Amino acid sequence: MALPEPQNPRLAYVGKPVTRVDVDDKVTGDAIYGYDLVLPNMLYGKALFSTRAHARIKRIHTEKARQYPGVVAVITGADAPWTHGESIKDKPFLAQGKVRYIGEPVAAVAAVDEDTAQAAVGLIEVEYEDLPAYFSAEEACKPGAVAIHEDFASYRKAEFIVGSSLPNVCEHFKLRTGDVEQGFRESDLILEERYSVPTIQHAAMEPHSAHAQLDPETGKLTVWVANDAPFRALHEISEALNLPREKIRLINPLQGGGFGSKGGLKVEPIAIALAYHTGGRPVRVKFNREESFISTITRHEAVIYIKSGVKKDGTLLARQMTIFWGAGAYAEKSPTVCIRGSLPAPGPYRIPHVKVDGYAVYTNKPVSGAFRGYGIPQGAWACEQHMDEIALRLGMDARELRLKNIFVDGDLSYWGEQLHSVGLKETLIKATDAIDWGKPKPPGVGRGFACISKPTRTPTTSSAAVLLDAKGEVTVLAGTVEIGQGCNTILSQIAAEELRVPVEKVRMHPLDTDVIPFDASTTSSRSTYHMGNAVRRAAIKAREELAEIARPMLEAEKGEIDVADGKVYLKNDPQVSLPLGQVIRRKFGADGVLRADASYTYEIGKDLDLETGHSDHASAFYMYATQAAEVKVDEETGKVKLLRIAAAHDVGKAINPLNCVAQIEGGLAMGIGAALHEELVIDDTGKVRNPSFLDYHLVTALDLPQMIPIIVECPEPEGPYGAKGLGEPGLAPTPAAIGNAVADAIGSRIYELPLTPERVYWAIQRKKKKAAA
Amino acid sequence: MKKKIAITLNGERVAVEAPAHRLLLDLLRDEIGLTGTKEGCGTGDCGACTVLLNGKPVNSCLILAGELDGADIVTIEGLKLGSEFHPLQQAFIQDGGAQCGYCTPGMLMMSKALLDENPDPTEEEIRFALSGNLCRCTGYVKIVQAVRDAAAALRAARAAAGGQER
Repeated sequence: MALPEPQNPRLAYVGKPVTRVDVDDKVTGDAIYGYDLVLPNMLYGKALFSTRAHARIKRIHTEKARQYPGVVAVITGADAPWTHGESIKDKPFLAQGKVRYIGEPVAAVAAVDEDTAQAAVGLIEVEYEDLPAYFSAEEACKPGAVAIHEDFASYRKAEFIVGSSLPNVCEHFKLRTGDVEQGFRESDLILEERYSVPTIQHAAMEPHSAHAQLDPETGKLTVWVANDAPFRALHEISEALNLPREKIRLINPLQGGGFGSKGGLKVEPIAIALAYHTGGRPVRVKFNREESFISTITRHEAVIYIKSGVKKDGTLLARQMTIFWGAGAYAEKSPTVCIRGSLPAPGPYRIPHVKVDGYAVYTNKPVSGAFRGYGIPQGAWACEQHMDEIALRLGMDARELRLKNIFVDGDLSYWGEQLHSVGLKETLIKATDAIDWGKPKPPGVGRGFACISKPTRTPTTSSAAVLLDAKGEVTVLAGTVEIGQGCNTILSQIAAEELRVPVEKVRMHPLDTDVIPFDASTTSSRSTYHMGNAVRRAAIKAREELAEIARPMLEAEKGEIDVADGKVYLKNDPQVSLPLGQVIRRKFGADGVLRADASYTYEIGKDLDLETGHSDHASAFYMYATQAAEVKVDEETGKVKLLRIAAAHDVGKAINPLNCVAQIEGGLAMGIGAALHEELVIDDTGKVRNPSFLDYHLVTALDLPQMIPIIVECPEPEGPYGAKGLGEPGLAPTPAAIGNAVADAIGSRIYELPLTPERVYWAIQRKKKKAAA
Repeated sequence: MKKKIAITLNGERVAVEAPAHRLLLDLLRDEIGLTGTKEGCGTGDCGACTVLLNGKPVNSCLILAGELDGADIVTIEGLKLGSEFHPLQQAFIQDGGAQCGYCTPGMLMMSKALLDENPDPTEEEIRFALSGNLCRCTGYVKIVQAVRDAAAALRAARAAAGGQER
């Protein structure tokens, strides 16, 4: 049920471009990130990483390292007999008996300083016996392939892990709607294509780190880590160590960007394993940039087969997709990326007959995991270029083809959900208009666009508490992690709105799982909606309680009192008022605090059916977007120059328009990098060839075109003030939009990413050859 | 072997003892305890650790302590003007130039170096000056805007001060 709109329809803080509440410390250097944190009496940990992609460990020689002066502990898998994993418990804290990728932690050292720890790591010797290794998801799941996880059947797994008869498949997602064969028979045009997306990396500016300490007397484990889902991490640690949750505490220092790379357990297991061998001293493990590249997570490489049947007039009849998601050596979040990325991969269109098979497949490459967009960019790269190819073959305008088929309010989606609050059409028209779609263009210039819809993690819960003291200061306890996305500002605005206090009066409490109420995760663009609702409810509750306390003081009846500007007053005679602090002191005393707690859970609907992929409410809300790009291609060199790119995103309600624009611009920059040059190159021995910023190219200030962010507001009734989410979709349609623009410019389609000059050059040559023949 | 190093750090004389091979970045963060200067790569590729060395911007992860005796170093902790934000800081706050904020100290120090040399840079000049400073959050739009706004504010302040002198 939706909350009532506030009695004052004119919002004071929500919808305003409020300055970030966390920025002062960020411009002075005062902000303390995980990487900056120094604990008293701290030891320094370093890990030894596997140099083999798939090998049995015959022996590990640690004697020399143990004898090295200044070394406190040297540990291997034998000293840390634990495994973890969000949906499949397959990943050891340190390698157990074998290694499955180059970069897997094999041993670790704790020492009195970083140099000593590193030197001691260099003294550890490992004897390996190589095993057959797989570097392609398609190869790894061919019948007869050797199992990378021999004990897969015995691993503990979540209930939605369905298994497969194919080897090395850790999840198989199925969507079955109508009868695709019938759809193909009734079609005038059938088009079948193969697309692929390479591995890329988050490359958050702050590398990974974690601190851990085990209190020898109480047995309590404290972990300081900039994790984007502290409660989920706590749960995962608790299950792995078989340690009660109350014996574990996570404290979140500030996070220097994550984009999905800092959820789950990455460097935490190494720090925790070492903490069990340091006699109670805290230990810090920092990954350097190379280690963050090879030993945390990457974005899923994917191979996507897509086949569609359409009528002459452009009506989509059938679509079949088979997607191979390269999971890397451990399952991590692959099962849910496979599910939530494969489900909407056929695109935001009405299609009566749909069949999707998504396979998350183990390989001997670095682990894949959550990455901003969560599987949507891969599907969109295929689907949206495929849509343009269909339009070309039908002789139809690409926008007309989309308009004929896109989701609108009331549509029944192919996964069985009736859709509402669909702002997709508005995003499509606005983004394409912004780059002059349909108007004449100079030679060598191409235009293209791509549409997406994105679900959010469902069902989930956020809880929050609002504290109000006698000085009228507000403290919000919320488990949403400030990863740079601006949540602290958004949540402060919501609390300020409902308590009618200036945003400056609101403080976000530091994140500590011993103090803060439960939150599912800061992922999936779920926070504004879920935590926004929780904070809003808690603030409304606090406001109502204030009114109730003030009622005898003001000799008023129920409903006659309101709160604003630090005062509790009579609605029909605002002159009769009490300072907020006086009301709180009356009930709680001078140093008393009013506390109101609230939760929000989206609990409507059922889980996805495991056989059909259907659900009547697969997602709490959907995010819709269209991005449109204009490019110029140098015919001689194949270099793509982006001229401008428009990004229209349906956010429901922009709680903070400045922050929304910032999210869109940042998403675009990441999407442009993925489109034009980002690829984590992994050679045929499984080794990452470019684990540095010198060789892995992020976009720089010089590389970006004119960006045109467009905010579309199609309100979601259940969201706070109508809000949906925004962070994740920012990069999802970008490569496909640019790919379509490049194809438009050169008259030839490119099926792989990134769109390097070489790839574009050869596509031009193919076109010329074809024209000559 | 440790070496005695006397430097001027954010306007104050500081004497430290460190091995000659210690990096300036680690000297600042680990020995002196100023963690405002960030480590993003440790190999001179990302600019997060930019500080001013004798007025010039450097990647502090590429400078050895042994080279530093007598050097003048300004870090992010020395950017404020007394208790006031530097106009660059003010502009980054107002324009939304920081998101996660991890690249921000380096961005600010590089921007300061630019504006010290060129008080009225074009957008292209700003983008060129910042092209060695990576940011994964913002798409650089608001950072470039902030540097332009700070440049304008600094010029206005200088003009006002000049006017008074006359």
